[in-house]
Amino acid sequence: METRNVGPVLELNKAIPSFEESGLPPVPFSMRLMPGECAVVEARDASRATIFADLCSGLVPLNDGAVKFMGLDWTELHDREVNALRGRIGRITRRPSWTDFLGTHMGIMLQQLHHTTRDVNDVVAEASRLSEQFGLPGLPVLRPAMLSDADLLRASCVRAFMGRPHLLLLEDPLEASPADLEDAFLSAITTARDKGAGIIWLVRSNAVGQRYWQGVTSRWRLADDGLVAVRMG
Amino acid sequence: MSSEEIVDPTLQHDVSVRRVLIHLVLPLFALILGILAVAFIGLHSYRTTRAGVKALTHELLGAVQHYIAQEVSDYIMPAAAGNIVASGMIEHVPVAVQDKVFYSYGAAMLRSVPQLQSFYLADDSGHFTLITRGKDGKNQERTTLQERGGHKVFHHDYFTDDGVKIGEADDDAKDYDPRNRPWYKNTENSTDIKWTQPYLFATSHQFVMTSSLRFKGIDGHTLVFATNISLNELSAFLDHIKVGKSGNAIILDSKGRVMAGRHLMQQAEAAGWDPNKMIINPKTHPVFARGFDHYRVHNFGPASFELNNKRYVTIASPLPNSSEDWVLLLSAPESDFAGFAKQSSQQSLQFAGVIIVFSLVLAALLIRQVRRSERSDRKLRAQASQITRETAAVQQVAATPHLFDPANDSLVLTEQLAHLASAHRASVWRFLHDGSAIICEDSYDQKQDTHSGGFEMSRSEMEDFFKAVEEGEAFTAQNAAADTRTAQFERLVMREVGTHGVAVYPVHGANGVIGTLVLEDAAMAPHLLYFVDLIASVAGMRLASLYGAHTDTPEGASISTADKLHEALQQAASLPATKFDNMLMRAPQTGAVQSSGIYPAVAVLVITFSDPVVDGGTETQGVLDLINRIATEVQRIAIESHLFAVEVAGHRLICMAGCTEHEDPTALIRVAEAALTMRETCMGILAAANLEPVFTMGLDYGAAFGGAVGAEPQVFNLWGQTVSVAELMAQGAADAGTIQVTERVYSVLRDRYLFRSRGAFFAPHLGLGRAYVLAARR
Repeated sequence: METRNVGPVLELNKAIPSFEESGLPPVPFSMRLMPGECAVVEARDASRATIFADLCSGLVPLNDGAVKFMGLDWTELHDREVNALRGRIGRITRRPSWTDFLGTHMGIMLQQLHHTTRDVNDVVAEASRLSEQFGLPGLPVLRPAMLSDADLLRASCVRAFMGRPHLLLLEDPLEASPADLEDAFLSAITTARDKGAGIIWLVRSNAVGQRYWQGVTSRWRLADDGLVAVRMG
Repeated sequence: MSSEEIVDPTLQHDVSVRRVLIHLVLPLFALILGILAVAFIGLHSYRTTRAGVKALTHELLGAVQHYIAQEVSDYIMPAAAGNIVASGMIEHVPVAVQDKVFYSYGAAMLRSVPQLQSFYLADDSGHFTLITRGKDGKNQERTTLQERGGHKVFHHDYFTDDGVKIGEADDDAKDYDPRNRPWYKNTENSTDIKWTQPYLFATSHQFVMTSSLRFKGIDGHTLVFATNISLNELSAFLDHIKVGKSGNAIILDSKGRVMAGRHLMQQAEAAGWDPNKMIINPKTHPVFARGFDHYRVHNFGPASFELNNKRYVTIASPLPNSSEDWVLLLSAPESDFAGFAKQSSQQSLQFAGVIIVFSLVLAALLIRQVRRSERSDRKLRAQASQITRETAAVQQVAATPHLFDPANDSLVLTEQLAHLASAHRASVWRFLHDGSAIICEDSYDQKQDTHSGGFEMSRSEMEDFFKAVEEGEAFTAQNAAADTRTAQFERLVMREVGTHGVAVYPVHGANGVIGTLVLEDAAMAPHLLYFVDLIASVAGMRLASLYGAHTDTPEGASISTADKLHEALQQAASLPATKFDNMLMRAPQTGAVQSSGIYPAVAVLVITFSDPVVDGGTETQGVLDLINRIATEVQRIAIESHLFAVEVAGHRLICMAGCTEHEDPTALIRVAEAALTMRETCMGILAAANLEPVFTMGLDYGAAFGGAVGAEPQVFNLWGQTVSVAELMAQGAADAGTIQVTERVYSVLRDRYLFRSRGAFFAPHLGLGRAYVLAARR
């Protein structure tokens, strides 16, 4: 059992994103995500979901309010701390995020190799294990451009769950994904939650991940008027 | 994870740096600035004082020099002025009384002016008259140069100071001619007073100098009046003069010859009584020699220099009424004048030192105070954080379902205790109702993230520990092995995990102490505020109800696990014989199960073996023998445990029990027991073959459906979620040789067996659930 952090993992406190910089509506966003919680955020617009994940990662300038991750305000930290803090976030994004001059395995392991002192063999072992869990025959070593979309999605999942992330920003990987990925994905987020990670699962519609709805702690909708809580039925 | 991070973003380095800057560097910097300022002011003050002292010294020396010059002038004045007076008197009197006037004047002067030694009067025709003191310094001697019988003689008349003649004498004057004497000759063509070079009277040790003045008598003859003045008196005077504390004065001529000064006679003696050789010696008078050098370079005026690491000041000045080339030289160590300044500077430095020391002390106090307040602040923050942590932990404990139900293992208690106290291990112990033994309800090892329990320690084994707990007071032993109260506990319980420190918190019930919480190597235990008490209370309530349940049981009715198993086997004795299917064993016998259908409570054990790697016929035969041995053992155990059936499918073995229409409560116990026995047996067989445990086991319990299928010989088969989950458990087991079970199995067997939690998992078709590892029998 992981020692849980005290206080919310992620807290959006009346954060008003800069419209010019993000395209998000300049209205207050408020949300609290405790360790082990899973919040599903419904966003029809995939690019808006990505920007919202950026907002949570402290990448979107704010006009007002604050976004705090693990109790630390993104705007009050220096670059060194901000970068280290982002190392604690696992993310699956629709935005192209693979460097094509490196093998996929490097893309997967880069975050752990950059931010931690873990032994390379350990990182490789974990990446291999996760790769198998997500339905890859092993750790993919080809360049990302050489992988099929489905395998790249699996690799994205592997990359997101590497290490012990405290926050997972998951832009729905289950949409148009191979059926076998769902079990592995749900299993991985359950394990991550059990270890104290907070999860923001950005979905395009409620139809995705229905099987897991029992485990969701809160639901939100990202609309023009900001982040709206959806009553859980 | 955090410890592996290269940068820990939660550490606020900038704040720390700023804090260090404000609390340490700034005061130190201010202190250093203060010290530098004090030092600078001290230095500046010292320099200013020194410059002032130097000026003052020069002024003082100037004043002394004026005084000495005046004194010297006064000393010499009678000689110079006397010449003028006497010559004025003599030139206007008749020739006949010239001698009388001369003697009168000379006698009067010799009586009243001690430094005057004698007077001469000579004229251009070779007459010579002299008046001098007697050899004893008293009386007077009048001498005239007379010619008797073609010889020149000095005729001496001796008079008392009162003018009474007391004797006379003559002596040969040889070829003495006053006109050839230096005092006579140097007045030629001059009407000014002239001085001769000093000369020594070796017999009388008098250092004498003559001043002379030429004038004309009433008869037209040229007369020269000369006065001998002794410089010994001047030297004695200079000897007595103190310049500053230890300085003195000397009179030199332009060639550096000593005219008067301290130890004149010694110098004269050293110079062989030759005044020309009495040149100032740098060896004997280094300061004067250096001062004279300065005079020669810079002319009259003050000079200051360093000699032998000591600073001196000298001042050179001309002497009025004396020979033209005489120089009065004064010297004194600068310290004689600047001593007070040096003392003042030293005092200033001492004051500065005191101020600096005070500043240092104050700065140290300030830093100490700041650090103390910072520490208190940190402590308060830590306390606040601790309260938050404890509150969060309490919330987590409070959110645990069936917290007070003794039938439900509340693992959260020990987990949270271990986390909050940073303990290696946290455990809850319960006394047996008669206090004869203590049983570990749950023990959580944080490092290994495992739960265990069920150990029983009797009072006879740990008498001191029992007594200490029963006293009801919490206690801590840093070194449990050295503490008599905990030494036995350490030996029996702690040594296996290598813990050293122990904190014991007795759990109180209605009738006294009913158990205890034990924290091993708990670094944060002293900082826990209320959490331990709270957990102790919760544990107390749980134990009290458990205690009540146990005491409600009639005496001797407590049934051990072995008894339960035996009972279960007895109950199962009426069940049909075990079925062995497929290639493993016999033809299927469906036994009592006549129809296919749903069985509400089937216990399914799946054993998965990894595929053997064989290379060559011999090895294949060996592996087959090994498999055969394992299969035989499984058969035996299955029969002993009255399992319903054992199926073989590839590298999997599926054991099942409870395939009855009505729920069989013993089925799961029998399967669990069989699982443990099989694991032990398989490990033994594999170890004997020098192989690692290459199998994992999964166990689930629940509804399944099945029946005999196919034509004769029929094969019994079982389907359903229970079977697939048991397979999933076997596949996902943490380590080889472990038995992974589902939450359902755990909830039924937790009273009988020890389990280790593996955490929550998501299983397809099942959703969220927890998995446990079946460790051992209780």
